[in-house]
Amino acid sequence: MKMLRKLQRKTLIPAQIAGYIATLLVGVAIVLVALQSYRDLRPLLTQQTDVFKAHTVTVSKNVTMFKTANKEGIYFDNKELASLKEQPFVKDVAHFTSAQFNTEAAISFAGQTMRTDFFFESVPDEYLDVESSEWKWDSTSDFLPLVIPEDYLNLYNFGFAESQSLPVVSEGMLSQVTFTVVVSGNGKRRVYDSRIVGLSGKINSILVPDDFLQWANKEFGDISEKRSSRLLVEFTDASDERIPAYFEGRGLNISQSELESSKIAFFFRLGMIFVIVIAMIIIILSVAFIIMSLNLIVQRNRDLFINLYKIGYSCGQIARFYRVVISILTIIDIVIAALLASWFRSIYTDKLKVLFDIDQTGSLIWIIASISAIVLLVLYNTLIMHSIKKTVGVVKREK
Amino acid sequence: MEIILRNIKPRYMSESEVAGSDIYLQPEVRFEQGKRYMVCAKSGHGKSSLLNFIYGINREYDGEIEHRGVQEDSMRTHILSYMFQDLCLFPELTAMENVQLKNMLTNFKSDSEIEQMLASLLPVEKRDQPVATLSLGQRQRVAAVRALCQPMHFLLLDEPFSHLDNETARAVADIMEKEIEKQGAGLIVTALDPIEFFPFDKRLNL
Repeated sequence: MKMLRKLQRKTLIPAQIAGYIATLLVGVAIVLVALQSYRDLRPLLTQQTDVFKAHTVTVSKNVTMFKTANKEGIYFDNKELASLKEQPFVKDVAHFTSAQFNTEAAISFAGQTMRTDFFFESVPDEYLDVESSEWKWDSTSDFLPLVIPEDYLNLYNFGFAESQSLPVVSEGMLSQVTFTVVVSGNGKRRVYDSRIVGLSGKINSILVPDDFLQWANKEFGDISEKRSSRLLVEFTDASDERIPAYFEGRGLNISQSELESSKIAFFFRLGMIFVIVIAMIIIILSVAFIIMSLNLIVQRNRDLFINLYKIGYSCGQIARFYRVVISILTIIDIVIAALLASWFRSIYTDKLKVLFDIDQTGSLIWIIASISAIVLLVLYNTLIMHSIKKTVGVVKREK
Repeated sequence: MEIILRNIKPRYMSESEVAGSDIYLQPEVRFEQGKRYMVCAKSGHGKSSLLNFIYGINREYDGEIEHRGVQEDSMRTHILSYMFQDLCLFPELTAMENVQLKNMLTNFKSDSEIEQMLASLLPVEKRDQPVATLSLGQRQRVAAVRALCQPMHFLLLDEPFSHLDNETARAVADIMEKEIEKQGAGLIVTALDPIEFFPFDKRLNL
């Protein structure tokens, strides 16, 4: 088939083929990266890393110059609590309980022991969504589970570790670290083993089980003082537009993370859809471009194909060269696009694995690439054959 | 093999145009393998059309054509060989390559056989020149050699000697006759005026 190849090779238009290769490569690479990263990053936005119930926010009073002088201003009184509970968008209100005794944390590392003063708060257990086997305490237990703010970890990972070139720490790694907590008061003292069992994005406090704090306040502290500076408010619907108006009007702070994360998820999804649509348009244009180019080749070389058919070549034999060329180019192009997408993915997954404990999802890149290649090859092979049959069929109607 | 035509007429010709033809609109015309037929007609009387109908690349006719005793699927490579009036050569390929292009389909002749046939009809230096640089008569000889590079039951020649002098035409006809004889094939030749290069069994007016 050397002679046939020699004839048909001259019919190809290199600039058009180069244009097709470039546009298809860009389009497929973008689609693969966009779909794969959407799949990889979605758990970050939807996964419930926060231990608090959904639709729950922390409410506190604004700290002003006046309140720093008179600390009473930061506590909620009964009237305010009653008013809040009456609001139609409020489902439930719970108090934070503070520890009324001395607390100290100690960690031993390489023979050295580091100690620091410490504090606890607690919220009713139903506001937490931690594994029940972990979040448990009774008076005989020597293990005290803790929940710390997610911001602490972020502050370390993105601030301190980044600037000091220290290794970053994941939530999983953090939960492996054990330390000692010493509580004392009323002339008593007790030592507990402790571990961080969860991270909260909604509350800037160190939480222990409510049962423990109720017991410990009686055991080690002064229970007469029971006031709330912070409340946990559960909404019927967090997107209710009356919520911001109510809280702003009364000078109350509300933790925004619940509202913010749903906004971020929405824009992320919107951005991804936009990118995928643009990339699909690039692919469709490149496919339309090469189909037009192939039609042009067939039109321009009509006499060549008719003569080949006349001297005995079948439509399949005439089409074969173009089918092979376009199939090989398309496969190579898609493989390169998939390799680029895989390389890009390896860069961001390395970072993600260290920073977040997300489940590593399988790669969709090669599956999508294979499906795209099969669809395009079937399309091209069918169209080329059809185009040549149509051109050669004209012969039969000629005089 | 036998080619049988029944009541055929090109759709683009009127009945009056084909009146008096020995082939068109005749109830039955038979071409038998092993026999040689000459079909004569003036320009525009449907000589090429007739061969195209028989070869199967033009279906614009009324009536029926039967290729009796053969399978239709390898018609253009193993049953009928056709030397076209417009030659259907590939100008960018050399004379040798044009013949090889056909021979690759059938593997019927060796390269040395092809070279030998071309050498007997063309100056040697022309063999490896692109066909675009050859004269019309030289191209006609290349097309003639190409037509012999396949197994055949019939050889169809459409005004094969229109650009050749008598001496060259004789040489071409001799090579063709040898191949027809060897393969036991039939021959249908169209011409404007009667020609004498083949031992015809029958002469027909179109």
